Amino acid sequence: MATKKHLIVGAGTAGYNAIRTLRQSGSQDQIALVSAEHPYSRMVLPYFLEQGISEGHTATVSLNQLEKWDVELHLGRRAVSLDTQNNKLTLDNGDELEYDDLLIATGSSAVRLNLPGADGEGVHGFWTLADARAVSRLVSPQSHVAMVGAGFISFTILNGVIQRAGQVTIVEVAGRILPRMVDDAGAAVVSRWLEARGVTLRTGAQLKSIEDSGGKKRLSFADGAPLDADLVIMATGISTNLSWLKGSGITINQGIVVDDHLRSNVANVYAAGDIAEGKNRITGAMEVHAIEPTAAEHGRVVGANMAGREVAYPGSLMLNIVGVAGLDIASFGAWDDPDATVIVGRRDATNSYRKYLLRDNRMIGAIYVGESNETWSGNDLGMLKGLVQSGVNLDGWADHLSRNPFDIKRPYLANRVVSSLMPQTTLGQSSPSPR
Amino acid sequence: MKALQFFPEKCTGCMRCEISCSYAQSGVIQPNRSVIKVAPLEGHTSYAPYTCVQCDEGWCMTACPVDAIVISPAGAKIVMEDQCVGCKLCTIACPYGTMFMDTTSKKAIKCDLCGGAPACAEACPTEAIVWHETEQGDWLGDFAQSRAQYNFTGLVQSQTG
Repeated sequence: MATKKHLIVGAGTAGYNAIRTLRQSGSQDQIALVSAEHPYSRMVLPYFLEQGISEGHTATVSLNQLEKWDVELHLGRRAVSLDTQNNKLTLDNGDELEYDDLLIATGSSAVRLNLPGADGEGVHGFWTLADARAVSRLVSPQSHVAMVGAGFISFTILNGVIQRAGQVTIVEVAGRILPRMVDDAGAAVVSRWLEARGVTLRTGAQLKSIEDSGGKKRLSFADGAPLDADLVIMATGISTNLSWLKGSGITINQGIVVDDHLRSNVANVYAAGDIAEGKNRITGAMEVHAIEPTAAEHGRVVGANMAGREVAYPGSLMLNIVGVAGLDIASFGAWDDPDATVIVGRRDATNSYRKYLLRDNRMIGAIYVGESNETWSGNDLGMLKGLVQSGVNLDGWADHLSRNPFDIKRPYLANRVVSSLMPQTTLGQSSPSPR
Repeated sequence: MKALQFFPEKCTGCMRCEISCSYAQSGVIQPNRSVIKVAPLEGHTSYAPYTCVQCDEGWCMTACPVDAIVISPAGAKIVMEDQCVGCKLCTIACPYGTMFMDTTSKKAIKCDLCGGAPACAEACPTEAIVWHETEQGDWLGDFAQSRAQYNFTGLVQSQTG
């Protein structure tokens, strides 16, 4: 029997997990990989900036391993068009690759603000390994770094920037920091923490232009004084790499719309990771979740399905965590549902903030802010994820939580969340060791 | 396969497991660096030890972006410290609350079953923690539920109708 040919476009987390799962499932089929970049993890780049790890450590998978897995490599190549009628992918050098099934995992790119000077020298993104190298080379104890954007991406590199720069100013157009990761009250705790550590926050600041001025970069705003910086890092959002699919017949909304097996409207074309618009595990809504754990789960489910198993995906759970100078900030699930019942706990003296969102006595989302010593002395952070993921009915324990918002452990244990979670696996079986 | 089983009704809250664990894991006697945590229940009149169940999914392991978490010969998901970059993703991927960051090394840390001879079980004077052949289980659920009734009126009402 002739073997199938699986074609994977994109060597990021989703693509890599699909390949590994195919091989771990025992598939002897042909696998080909197309990727513009060598395989590495964006998640790891901030730690490269912090100088805790070497550049080689950013790799997710070695070329050696891909060779062992007998993967036909097309690295440094971009896909430029897709013919779903004839199962054919065209690359930027004109090569045509045929497939039996295809995974689109082309990820996303950083988007810069459209304003004068945004593309100038001394203005950097922090999305690719090349970006990370450039920033790492330029930042010094003498530099004043302006971070444009105060979202999750910006915050992942904040530790490295604070450690290595002389002065840091964060510029954000919204009225507060982390607008899409925590609520107002949580953001206020984080702001206070950062300001106490010498970071300048400029929220509600509408950047108009970036010019060269006396060897510095001058940032001008709609209101207020301009800001002079040595280095500008722009982390102002991402967009999906999907423009090459125009005319392919693949249905694209915010991302490629996928069913619960992560298939697009074309049955032998899968999509995974940042470009997939799939089910939200908590709300059931179709959404793009451009986060690492979703990409990994998507990739594994696609790999299993390509290997001939029928694995349905229950949907992805929104999760984010970032630590800044000893303060941990995390959010889970539907943390911003305006119609949920809300329980809030706060201890200002220790910068502890908790918010739980409940519907029908089930936790559907949570926000956590706490100092590292508190966070890692207890089990609460992961238990919040477990409460959201298991969706157990908290019954009268919801009342208990509203009176004792810092007592997560008892509601978690007594509602037998452990029993509820233990049978759960993404692929319907125990996960093998990755190495 | 051997697993850690807990008998919470035998736990006296002596904390020897936490002390031994922190020493085995970090070389210091410092319970807040232990990866087994004793939960006080019912207003500190009951206690129960709690740690990683080495779950089938391995949420920490499958979420790790650099494959720094692997399965050891003892059947534990373990962190390869030299591979971990400290991104904390495993700590929110784990739904059991049993992934931690070591605040000194800035690396993830979890129960590794001490390579097949768990220090907590060895240290426990009342056999509340036993390392033996058994299936993994939810050892604390029933206990925590029963110990909740007496200071949690809502549940008593719902149980008595």
